[in-house]
Amino acid sequence: MKPRKDLLTIGSLSTEDINTILDSATAMKDIFTKSVKKVPALKGKSVLTLFYEPSTRTRSSFEVAAHRLSADVTTFTVSTSSVVKGESVHDTIDTLMSMKMDYIIVRHKHSGIPAVIARHCKAAVINAGDGAHAHPSQAFLDAFTIREKYGTVAGKRVVIIGDILHSRVARSTSCILRRLGAEVAYMGPGPLVPLQQHSGIPRFTNWDQIFDWKPDVIYLLRVQNERMDTPFFPAGDYHQAFGVTEERLARIDDLNLSIMHPGPVNRGVEICDAAMDYRNTLINDQVENGIAARMSILYHLTPQTQQHD
Amino acid sequence: MPTLGQDALEAALDDWAAHIAATCPTGEGKLALIGVISHGDNLAQRLIRRLAAKGIQARYGALDISLYRDDFDMKQSKPALRSSYLPFSTDGLHLVLVDDVVQTGRTVRAALNAIFEYGRPDVVQLHCLVDRGGRQLPICPDYTALRLDAPANARISVRLQETDGRDEILYT
Amino acid sequence: MTNTYIRNAIWAPTGETCDVKIGPGLSSRFDSLGGLTTCDAEVHPAGVLTIPSEAHCTDATGKIVMPALFDLHAKVEVPGRSKRESVSRTGQAAVQGGVWGMLVMPTRGFMFDNYATLDSFHDAVAQRSAAEMIPAGTISMGTEGRQQAPYNTLAARGVSILTDGDNVPDNLLMLHRAMKYAAELNLTFAIRGDVPMLSANTYMHPGTTSYALGLHGTPACAEEIGIEILLRLARDAGARLHIQTVSTARGVESIRRAKAEGQSVTAEVALHHLLYTHENVGDYDTTFKVVPPLREQSDCDALLAGIKDGTIDCIVTDHTPCTPFDKKQDFVSAPQGATALDTFLPALYTHLVKPGKLSWAELVRACCTAPLTIANPRDDESDEAAGIPLLLFDPEPEFEVTADSLVCGTLNNPQIGTTLCGQVSLPL
Repeated sequence: MKPRKDLLTIGSLSTEDINTILDSATAMKDIFTKSVKKVPALKGKSVLTLFYEPSTRTRSSFEVAAHRLSADVTTFTVSTSSVVKGESVHDTIDTLMSMKMDYIIVRHKHSGIPAVIARHCKAAVINAGDGAHAHPSQAFLDAFTIREKYGTVAGKRVVIIGDILHSRVARSTSCILRRLGAEVAYMGPGPLVPLQQHSGIPRFTNWDQIFDWKPDVIYLLRVQNERMDTPFFPAGDYHQAFGVTEERLARIDDLNLSIMHPGPVNRGVEICDAAMDYRNTLINDQVENGIAARMSILYHLTPQTQQHD
Repeated sequence: MPTLGQDALEAALDDWAAHIAATCPTGEGKLALIGVISHGDNLAQRLIRRLAAKGIQARYGALDISLYRDDFDMKQSKPALRSSYLPFSTDGLHLVLVDDVVQTGRTVRAALNAIFEYGRPDVVQLHCLVDRGGRQLPICPDYTALRLDAPANARISVRLQETDGRDEILYT
Repeated sequence: MTNTYIRNAIWAPTGETCDVKIGPGLSSRFDSLGGLTTCDAEVHPAGVLTIPSEAHCTDATGKIVMPALFDLHAKVEVPGRSKRESVSRTGQAAVQGGVWGMLVMPTRGFMFDNYATLDSFHDAVAQRSAAEMIPAGTISMGTEGRQQAPYNTLAARGVSILTDGDNVPDNLLMLHRAMKYAAELNLTFAIRGDVPMLSANTYMHPGTTSYALGLHGTPACAEEIGIEILLRLARDAGARLHIQTVSTARGVESIRRAKAEGQSVTAEVALHHLLYTHENVGDYDTTFKVVPPLREQSDCDALLAGIKDGTIDCIVTDHTPCTPFDKKQDFVSAPQGATALDTFLPALYTHLVKPGKLSWAELVRACCTAPLTIANPRDDESDEAAGIPLLLFDPEPEFEVTADSLVCGTLNNPQIGTTLCGQVSLPL
């Protein structure tokens, strides 16, 4: 893979690059089975996690990945107060530049912030989720999990269910899966599935249509009430209308479909308790694969902090 | 201009296997050949087949040492990693590291670091197909099939049937 | 002083070849405080004028003579610079772009809700500006949408148009009462169609680009409904209404219907809404972050058709300086707005007149006579071009728009990096 500084979106990668990162993730996952679960690849490098939005999962996944590559990890706590005070991203960038970080992993509620940071930093910037825009490391771990389960992504059918409008996961994961030859469909409440804005992705309105489509993977999104100041749909209906209920689980079991979810799950909303223990629920694999995928991403990026100019 | 064709390579491997058979302990499960990816793994497999023909059993392992390199910052393309294959503990074994070309010694250093994360072998030896000189580290192969004192800017490329479709060593 | 002459130019309003006689004491000097300048120039069909052999005469074959432009929607305040410098730079930028006068929107630094601000602004303009600047009074105190501004005081200082600038009053009762009150003072309300509840926390037109970028979209219906609300409120209150920066095809349709019904309403479109679509936002290009947002090509086409049939009265700059620092932020945080004064006439010519989308006569109406009539409703309908300085426009020279060629003080002009045609000479 040609040297590249940042990972901001899946769309910016060639299909070859995507495959390279996935292949390396397989090798990274093998490291977990050794007695020494650590390699010296990023020894002496510094990794900063800069999260403007709370996310224990993604942040710790990146931190574990960085530790396993022997990097030094710093957690930059962005207090909500400094955001309220109106510290601009540029001021934060100046601070980061002074810290001489090699990798910056950033999450922000505004779409496009990682790109702004990447433009002004020599460090390799990894987008760990920006607004409703992109979440490329999640896309890699999802593609990796499907590839691991089925041997290939090409030809698989994946239906993504839930809040497409607010979901960076839906955007990035559908992008990587389609690039790798999978078919993707969306289903969700009307106001949360923007129409005519994503070409080539069919939209379903109920589970019968989904089953008729014969998918391989049911990908559930988290209902993100925290992103909605004004409700988008009636609060009580979601599970019955769009969730994996026990009846639907029986059908999913019959058809031997897999269930995925980026976490954290709302039990009883997108998914029933029983589905969490279903034999083809890949949610825990996704978590483990997330570390491997993020190690591979860190490994393949090239910060410009070493270059003298 | 191929320096060495298929026949010469086969002959070199025969001598190499004979050397291993003559010098390494061949007791029950004691010997393992660990190839350094890429090419080293293929060479190790060929050697193991030759040893098997002599009635000597050697275990096979392969190492991708990319994650142990010390030249990680270089502005070059990073190929996809390959999985290391070492499905046994190396405790107490006699290991033979098999590499295609030894030059600076940095790959070998990385391989040594990697290998010690799989256990504590009794002995580690370094065998290589080509030693082209130009060492930067205090590392010396225990066995060299072919010695070439090449200037630093010369290109030596090893091609093998398994990965490149034909056997040859190019020296340009 | 002797007269000077220009020969063989094309008179833009009619397309006829003309000769121009320019007398002393005209062009570059404006008398202030909202009164429009008279200009001592006579335009005659070619061959009518007798040009004395000793007189200074310029041959202008292939060039255009036209009344200079008037911009009905500009912000003068340049963030981070003093008020005086803002006035001075914006004035220079206007003259460079062929604009001799503009209606100035209230902004935080120029809050035209009291006589003191108006007086000091008039002083600054008189001392520092190369272009005429007419302040628009605010509808509400501080443009906050709660308490009506002192309309009698503002009117006594020459204000004829009221607007809350970028803010759209969402308290319709306040607005309805304001309209009833101000209608008797012969004031015009200039407001953008919007329903703030529908457009809050949105950043661009909803479509493929907004979806790809993960940005919330401003539904077109927010503007369409907003325009309907304004039309009905103004009709009920008997107020004269000017609808600012229309961006949607259906918005044009509503205005067309209201005009057909005889309502006293005028409307404007910003140049960028004619030239660009939401796709120009590309990869978060904050230069194209404007309010209302850039929409679809079909909207651009409907807006242009609206200008041609007179539904939309004028084309404005919606000139909004934003500092490079602010615009370098992420798309959500960056302020909205683009500048256009520096390049106004060359951009109008290059993108609309040259490709045949707009005639010179239509341009003169939309950028010169119509906006002046709206800004000065008290003036009797006089001869179209009287009182307005003339400019000479050479359509041939091409120039690349660079950061250095802009004088307005900021760099958020979407024309930067493009090549435009035309050289403006103002004053003649």
